[in-house]
Amino acid sequence: MNLLESVGAGLRDMGSNKGRSVITMIGIVLGVASVVAVLSLMQGGQAQTEAYFEELGGLREIRITNQRTNRIFMTAAERASERLTYRDAQAIRFECPSVSYVDPEISRYLTVSYKDKTFQMRVLGTTADYVFADSMPVAEGRFITDRDLDTYANVIMMGPTYRDDLFGDEDWRGKQVLVEGIPFTVVGIMEKKEFYFRGGGGERNVLEWFNRGHYIPITTMIRRFTVDDQLGGLEISAKTVELVPTLMEETRTVLSRRHGVEDFDLASKSEQVQQRAEQEAFFNIIFWVIAFISLFVGGVVIANIMLSSITERIREIGVRKAIGASSRDVFIEFLVEALVVTSVGGAVGLGVGYGLVKLMETALIMPMAFSPSILVLAFLTSVAVGIIFGMFPALRAARLDPVEALRYQ
Amino acid sequence: MLIAVDGLTRTYDLGEAKVHALRGVDLAVEAGEYLAIMGPSGSGKSTLMHILGCLDTPSTGRYVLGGEEVSSLTGRELAKVRNRRIGFVFQNFNLLPRIDLVANVALPLVYHGSVSKAERLGRAAKQLEELGLGHRLKHRPNELSGGERQRAAIARALINEPSILLADEPTGNLDSKTGREIMDILDGLSAAGKTVCLVTHDANVAEHAGRTVHMQDGAIAREDFS
Ligand SMILES: Nc1ncnc2c1ncn2[C@@H]1O[C@H](COP(=O)(O)OP(=O)(O)O)[C@@H](O)[C@H]1O
Ligand SMILES: [Mg+2]
Repeated sequence: MNLLESVGAGLRDMGSNKGRSVITMIGIVLGVASVVAVLSLMQGGQAQTEAYFEELGGLREIRITNQRTNRIFMTAAERASERLTYRDAQAIRFECPSVSYVDPEISRYLTVSYKDKTFQMRVLGTTADYVFADSMPVAEGRFITDRDLDTYANVIMMGPTYRDDLFGDEDWRGKQVLVEGIPFTVVGIMEKKEFYFRGGGGERNVLEWFNRGHYIPITTMIRRFTVDDQLGGLEISAKTVELVPTLMEETRTVLSRRHGVEDFDLASKSEQVQQRAEQEAFFNIIFWVIAFISLFVGGVVIANIMLSSITERIREIGVRKAIGASSRDVFIEFLVEALVVTSVGGAVGLGVGYGLVKLMETALIMPMAFSPSILVLAFLTSVAVGIIFGMFPALRAARLDPVEALRYQ
Repeated sequence: MLIAVDGLTRTYDLGEAKVHALRGVDLAVEAGEYLAIMGPSGSGKSTLMHILGCLDTPSTGRYVLGGEEVSSLTGRELAKVRNRRIGFVFQNFNLLPRIDLVANVALPLVYHGSVSKAERLGRAAKQLEELGLGHRLKHRPNELSGGERQRAAIARALINEPSILLADEPTGNLDSKTGREIMDILDGLSAAGKTVCLVTHDANVAEHAGRTVHMQDGAIAREDFS
């Protein structure tokens, strides 16, 4: 009997035992559906994490922060240190060969007014590198330039959210606003930044924060609005992802020399991505366990139903052997039958899994990805279950002694 | 000589007790012979038929079928012998209940391996027509009378053109009129040159055969020629 005919016979057999086949398939359907769900959840989660970090300037970034130490416990050297300053940022820019962008930030809430409108707004003193380092695109006009920094220019770049509040329908070009009473020329508007994290039952723009800021040269900020040049944040990025560890060492050397003590922390984005991936992997284990249990239960059900169907069919096996079926023929017939059931179950499971993916995506707002490789992999698991759990019953059938089998009542 | 068995024994080991179903059977069957095996219940007729049909293997003794020593064949080779050289007819027909008559009759050709599906079904239909079942091709076994079922079983036994037809009480489950119909078929096959070997309780049935072997307690007690 060739394979195609065995498959045909298996399908006919399924058709003639619909109740049995449905029960057999439920486990496989659920198992394969959860495999589909897990795989697309994993792919989706990973894609989302990567996209998020990409949006924030990629994996080349290192964040430098002041170490938080209670003043009481500080050593003399720590007390003497000025903490992270704009001069530190300049030193890194000129002394670290692996650095590409240096993005120091000092932010203050300042009064910004235009005509009769006055708001208390977050203003960020920064450099020309900011747009590159944080991949912040400019929507209209221009960003702060090196020349602005050198000349302590009174220029302001506005975030998109407050633009309407200040200017309404008016064109912003050529307008001046007062920052703490000092006139600043508006030179551009930032693009709206959006990233919607799915999960936890809703969607929100986690980057809206960025849309609510205004930007001025950091040198202007220091000269006009702050008492010293201590930084609120400092982010730098390496020329390539591979250079991140090198840059961390270079930075550590430069800053330790300048501060006389290591009172700062360095954290790379790739470490954060790693941590996040580990958290997600743990979350996915739950789904793997569900998938494994359903496939296992499905397999055991198949094995049992096949074993009981063998009992029903002992005489049939005896007859087949009496007219010339070898043990191998019988083995193949029963294994193919198991494979037909699991494959049909697997195919249905792919459909159910796809539905599950869509449901989780819309109802639970989970990040899901769906690709042909997921379908192939999930289908292969159903085939594997058929082989593994069909093997034992098929062997039992194959080993039956023909005379005993024919005598069986 | 088509069949030669020599000192055949078959012992069932039931742990404590041993059942000696055959205690040394010597038998020769010529090609084209029509042989009946008679004997009381439990005398070992079926056991002998199973061994002759390569469904079972002897505990000791030699079995030569068509010049080939069968006792030394592997399971797979025995399956091939059952498939191509032996046609077996059972008392209770043993048709597969879930497939129709053509499929039942074509089944040995399926295990033969090299016959296309169209040819298999064609040959099965022709075989059934020859046995007067041309109008029953698509029926399932349970839709047929006992006599029709046994005729289908004979058709299945003949499909691979075996060198010998073995029938273990082929009329045992049939009324006497239907039994006579089946015997007419076996007579016809024998007349056409087929080697036929049948087991029966019924002396009237045994009369059809050219030779009758009487068994007693797992051994051949005597032989009659008619
Ligand atoms: N599988 C078996 N296990 C034990 N004893 C068996 C088995 N098969 C047959 N026998 C015994 O072997 C003897 C011969 O049986 P059998 O060949 O079926 O007799 P017959 O067909 O002449 O009625 C009987 O005593 C029977 O009980
Ligand atoms: Mg018997």
